[in-house]
Amino acid sequence: MIIAFAVAPVVLVTLLIGLRGVAAMRSTSDFLVASRQVSPLLNSAAVAGEYLSAASFLGVAGLVVKDGIGSLWYPVGFTAGYIAMLVLVAAPMRRSGALTVPDFAEARLASPALRRTTAVVILVIGGLYLVPQFRTAGLVLSVVSETPYWVGVVIAGTGVAITLALGGMRAATYVQAFQFVLKLVLFIVPAIWLLVQVGPAVRHEAVHPVEFTEFHRDTRVVFRVGTALEFTEPTPVRVGRETQVRTGHWEVPAGTAVVFPEGAAVPDVSGEARPGGDEWERPLLDLADAGHPLLSTWALVVALALGTMGLPHVIMRFHTSPDGRAARRTAAITVGLLSVFYLFPGIYGVLGRVLVPQLYLSGATDTAVVALPAQVDTGWPGATFTALLTGGAFAAFLATSLGLVLVVSGAISHDLLPGGLGRLRVTVLAVSAVVVLLALSAIRLDAGVLVTWGFTVAASTFCPLLVLGIWWSRLTVAGAMSGVLVGLFASSGAIVCTLLGVPVSGWPAILVAQPAPWSVPLAFATMIVVSLRGRPPSWSRTAMLRLHLNEDRVETPAARLRALRG
Amino acid sequence: MPGHKRVAVMSPQTRLAHSRRRLRGRWRVPKLDPVGAERAAELYRRQRTLAVAPLVVLFVGILGLPLVFALFPGLDELRVLGVPVSWLALALLPYPALTALAAWHLRRAEDAEDLE
Repeated sequence: MIIAFAVAPVVLVTLLIGLRGVAAMRSTSDFLVASRQVSPLLNSAAVAGEYLSAASFLGVAGLVVKDGIGSLWYPVGFTAGYIAMLVLVAAPMRRSGALTVPDFAEARLASPALRRTTAVVILVIGGLYLVPQFRTAGLVLSVVSETPYWVGVVIAGTGVAITLALGGMRAATYVQAFQFVLKLVLFIVPAIWLLVQVGPAVRHEAVHPVEFTEFHRDTRVVFRVGTALEFTEPTPVRVGRETQVRTGHWEVPAGTAVVFPEGAAVPDVSGEARPGGDEWERPLLDLADAGHPLLSTWALVVALALGTMGLPHVIMRFHTSPDGRAARRTAAITVGLLSVFYLFPGIYGVLGRVLVPQLYLSGATDTAVVALPAQVDTGWPGATFTALLTGGAFAAFLATSLGLVLVVSGAISHDLLPGGLGRLRVTVLAVSAVVVLLALSAIRLDAGVLVTWGFTVAASTFCPLLVLGIWWSRLTVAGAMSGVLVGLFASSGAIVCTLLGVPVSGWPAILVAQPAPWSVPLAFATMIVVSLRGRPPSWSRTAMLRLHLNEDRVETPAARLRALRG
Repeated sequence: MPGHKRVAVMSPQTRLAHSRRRLRGRWRVPKLDPVGAERAAELYRRQRTLAVAPLVVLFVGILGLPLVFALFPGLDELRVLGVPVSWLALALLPYPALTALAAWHLRRAEDAEDLE
């Protein structure tokens, strides 16, 4: 039922705005005027709409429940990235006339090989970013409607494929701007309602964390994947109708619903610290529980701040700005819009730690946001707010996924396997199907963590390419190519090591879990050293200077379309 | 309208797809007339100089705040309206600061383009 009430309207309104937006603009000149008149404010709402994914809407609060207050560094990094974007990339990128990084590579360095390499990087970033979106959408749908996880993922994948097929992205700017406003309202209003409704006792508990060692009431936990629990004392748990006394090690099979009795000790989940402990309340993030929170936090914010500029779906959005100056304004306003949104995930996080800490047992903390209203109010207001938050989460998932699936499909069908538009449509379906399959096996991986890996790969590949391409005329094709490849292999190699669970401890564990502090400098150094050993073409300086010339009249979309017509 | 010709109206993505197909293999050597080149070089130097300060402020801020938290764990005990100061410093403080930084750099970058 919740699916019908919460998700269907979001999808329908998205489609309607898409179709109406196109119907309102019939002639070419209307379209050209509109594209010139998209104000920086509207455009930055669209950027923020595309950017605020399931990782922001659900993931940050979930990580706060699981890992602690230090997880609030994620949104700081997500926002800080737009400062780097504003200062280094926004205006020159728009002036290059390129829509994607492969376009930029070809415009600046004239190398088809580099274009194809960057297209492969887009596939990696897109994959790391899309899988958690599908996974979280599936998880949320399965939680609110009590269906198996795979049903939720398949519904989410089908939703994306149908929306794209019916043209839900046609008036992309308006759709995304609407999605931003929708997400903002659906996030802020329930947060305020929750804060008021929980009462002073819970509010006091929220800011005075205690470790989650004992169940305060009979607690039902659904284990969607098999989980190993360690009981410290014999505990009578209810599985279905029968009561079993558990002690020591217990491998809970996937799909089991377990009720823990009030007053029982909370079992340990192998390798996880309990929410609310001493480390939990520290405003630093201890990645991989390595015991070096300062280094971890630094590694994370560096990756996020430098990775934002390389996110393929975000760069595409800046093209709607009529010129470089407007693109710069768009980036600046986006910082402000994101700042409003990111004031709120912490509220869900600290309330979730008090009301739904048991989610960490089943690795489902990403559902904390949608699980909260039912804890506070069991009547219709609680159900209404659950539906609103589910709708908002689905909007977040939809906005980001639509943009990313298109960018990834574009990279495949235009850069890697050049074909026509028909090919693009088939590719969209194929990409959705592959992501659904990947998401089915990724249920245990937190959205925030996977998305951060996407940022890390972007920071290690596209960040050096864009920064040096825009600000350093001596960059050569060989330099750019080797830098991108070194960054890609270094960052994705470290991610693969983490996924395979290669045993490392101490500070090296952080540098494997979050490789940005070494992979980004390594990529920059490779690019610079290899470029200095070669010789840039004679037009290299002109190609770079062109990006800084603030005369955009020749390069407006209008002029380009006119050029195509004539 | 003389020379009126129907042109398909399409999304940026579709437009990209079409134009990419047409422009494929038609890369041209970028050209700038001497006046434009001189102005571009001047703008490039100005923006490069301007870019240093905000980036330094940004990284000092996002690397410095964790350092402060690590050096002064007492901030977790200190409370304003019942909430630990360190939580407030992480959950609220960065956002107005980042917004102000963005506004400041935007004004400087635009002024640098206007001074000609």
